[in-house]
Amino acid sequence: MAEESVGERNRSNAFVVSARKRTLQKVAKTAGEGMLFSVAFLVAVIVLFIFYFVARDAIPFFQIRGFSEFFTSSNWYPADEPGEFGALAIIYGSLMVTLGSAMIAVPMGVAAAICLSDILPFSIRQYAKPVIEMLAAIPSVAFGFFALVVLAPLMQDHGGPLLMWAWWILVSPFLLLAVIVIADLLTANIKEEKRRQRRHWMLLIFLGLFSMILMFKVGFVLNGIQILTGTNALNVSLILSFMALPTIVSVSEDALQAVGRDIREGSYALGATRAETIIKTILPAASSGILAAVILGIMRALGETMVVWMASGNSSHIPQPWFNYLEAIRTLTATIAGDMGEADQVTGSARFHVLFAMGLLLLIISFISNLVSERIVVRQRKILSGQ
Amino acid sequence: MNIGTRKILDRSFTAVGIGSIIVMALALMIVVVPIVYNGIGAVFFTGTVEHRKMLQAEFSRGDSQYLSSEVASSNRYRAKVYEMLTGFEAELETMAPEKKAEYQAKYSQVRTALQALLGPLPGDPEPMLTRFKYGQTRWEKAEEKLHDLLYESKWDNTNPDVMGKEYFVNRAIGFEGTSLSRLFPYINENLEKMLLPEFTLYWGFITDSSVDSHFFGGIWPEIQGTFFLAIGAMLFAFPLGVVAAVYFTEYARPGFLNSMLRSANSTLAGVPSIVFGMFGLAFFINTMKVSESKSVIAGALTLAIMILPTIIRASEEAILAVPKTYREASLSLGSTKWNTIATVILPAALPGILTGGVISLGRAAGETAPIIFTAAVSVGSAIGLADVFSSPTPALSWNIYNLASEHEAATQIRHVQYGMVLALVTIVLLLNLSAIVLRARISKKLKG
Repeated sequence: MAEESVGERNRSNAFVVSARKRTLQKVAKTAGEGMLFSVAFLVAVIVLFIFYFVARDAIPFFQIRGFSEFFTSSNWYPADEPGEFGALAIIYGSLMVTLGSAMIAVPMGVAAAICLSDILPFSIRQYAKPVIEMLAAIPSVAFGFFALVVLAPLMQDHGGPLLMWAWWILVSPFLLLAVIVIADLLTANIKEEKRRQRRHWMLLIFLGLFSMILMFKVGFVLNGIQILTGTNALNVSLILSFMALPTIVSVSEDALQAVGRDIREGSYALGATRAETIIKTILPAASSGILAAVILGIMRALGETMVVWMASGNSSHIPQPWFNYLEAIRTLTATIAGDMGEADQVTGSARFHVLFAMGLLLLIISFISNLVSERIVVRQRKILSGQ
Repeated sequence: MNIGTRKILDRSFTAVGIGSIIVMALALMIVVVPIVYNGIGAVFFTGTVEHRKMLQAEFSRGDSQYLSSEVASSNRYRAKVYEMLTGFEAELETMAPEKKAEYQAKYSQVRTALQALLGPLPGDPEPMLTRFKYGQTRWEKAEEKLHDLLYESKWDNTNPDVMGKEYFVNRAIGFEGTSLSRLFPYINENLEKMLLPEFTLYWGFITDSSVDSHFFGGIWPEIQGTFFLAIGAMLFAFPLGVVAAVYFTEYARPGFLNSMLRSANSTLAGVPSIVFGMFGLAFFINTMKVSESKSVIAGALTLAIMILPTIIRASEEAILAVPKTYREASLSLGSTKWNTIATVILPAALPGILTGGVISLGRAAGETAPIIFTAAVSVGSAIGLADVFSSPTPALSWNIYNLASEHEAATQIRHVQYGMVLALVTIVLLLNLSAIVLRARISKKLKG
């Protein structure tokens, strides 16, 4: 405002702007800003529209069939007359693959993020980031095709040996580590050095033998497993975890980077090793950001359609026993994608509306988890800036 | 804990981190390598004379004179096969009835296998479907079919506890003592002379449309549909996204409204892709009636909504990355805020904004779920630009699903599916790679 009054006083100035022109400018400015705002507001309108239009077609289902059948029954026979619309097994299938992919993707993703932010030198990090971006960029249908055409036959033909080797390769280093740490912890209290050493070695040998036996026993049990169908929950969980990984890695890396240098240096100064620094100081400081990353990654797995549609087997039943990942399952997204074409749109049958009910469920879950993760990130930023 | 253990723990912690990155890179390799290897096989392969016959008949491509000489030379060897068949048919007539019935069944299996290998046999009616008009067009498939001809596959179900095991029985043994037993060694020896395998470079795979639901021909309609959908989505989303980003970075004042808009943006980014598809169906098609039923325009609009938050975020980052000094210099020269944005900030941020746009373009090209109900159709020819408002289109992403899961002979056209996946992955990864390169150059330039 101060500049304007200066301009008004010096009318003789060369930069004279007539009153009319200035009002015009003002109007144009307001109009321009209004236009920008309306475009930005469009996003909110779209979100509202999505909720409205999905809910509009979902509510008739609950009016016709009520709530209890949808959430408690696992009889899914939408094509029958009258149909049965119990979606419990389908919801369970969705949760199952989501949980399965989270179990693989979260430890791996967080470890990779830590590695990227704290361990690797900058020059290598520059090459690792594009790899992660590429992984994120591969279309889901390509992953689905891989799961269906390469991974599923592999699992069906060589399921047992694959499981055995995966167990041996993945678990043996951790078991070895656990043996060393446990032996160390159990002997830490013994004061006399010679006795402590002897105990230590004895424990190492004893625990080592024990864990070897455990490894081989479990490995051979796994080797005997016959996977009846390659399109199963394990296959899907594996592929979904690859798809969730990039999100988890990049968001948790941001969270780890947000933890300042001073905290790290303080911990190092107290004599902590790098692992101790990361586990005891950096991870707790970044925990909420990592939680947000995990939520976002899980949402990616829950909302994924093509992979589960192609490679989950699409069989609507709760596996026996409930944690059996080697059985075919069916998920919400795959049901929507698969049944929409057959569902009778014109007459507005329950069969059509039940799919929108599933869509609404997905939408609500994603909305809530998005809000939660956003809150978490905001809170973390506040805490970190306050420190 | 003693120092040694702490050291080991520290090292192994590092190892776990590095290991997980290596696993990710390996996963990328494991997924991409078979796709690339088999996908290239759709264009470069060992084609048989049947492939060249098909090209000549369906696309009138190739040297017809050379082809007819090839056909003549292959027919010389085939004639002997046909001779043996007629000889055996005559022999069948002279057999006792029960023996004849037994051989008849086996013989019809042999005929089917031969038809698959060499195309229609003399005396067969003209096949209705194009896929039965030609024998095996690819040599590696021909070798599989040869195995089918030589060996009968049977299943061993004697042990009920384990899955049945496949085993093979030599067909020639079944015809021991008849005139047909000579057929099997003859074909085994002379298949190459009958099919004349030759290294083939089939660029038509990219530029041809498909023949008889992808049994032969190429994938051009799908590639074109993918481009239409992705570019259509960009046409809607890119201007809107950039304008919204300008508002968020330059004009928005902190407050309830602003935080709500930002929440809306991140909510939109988190909506599952299949829900976008449902929304597109319910809103654009059933309510707005932008088209009678599925159409390119409805699909493009749906994809546009999906990529909008990505574009907004990328553009915001690009605008924020423009150094403050640019802005201050422009303002100090007396230009208005509007002028500064239009002439200084946006041009400086343009490469960054384009990077986001290119990545979104890739995402729109690769996404399947939103177009299932709004734009995609499984069989169809390439559509003209005028048809985008009324007709659906085949698209790479959808047709990969469709061919792999719903096609009646999905296992026979794996090479086409791999070719499609490779085409899609190449498009998307090239877009992303160019974005990565672009970004690296910008960050160098902005640093000075």
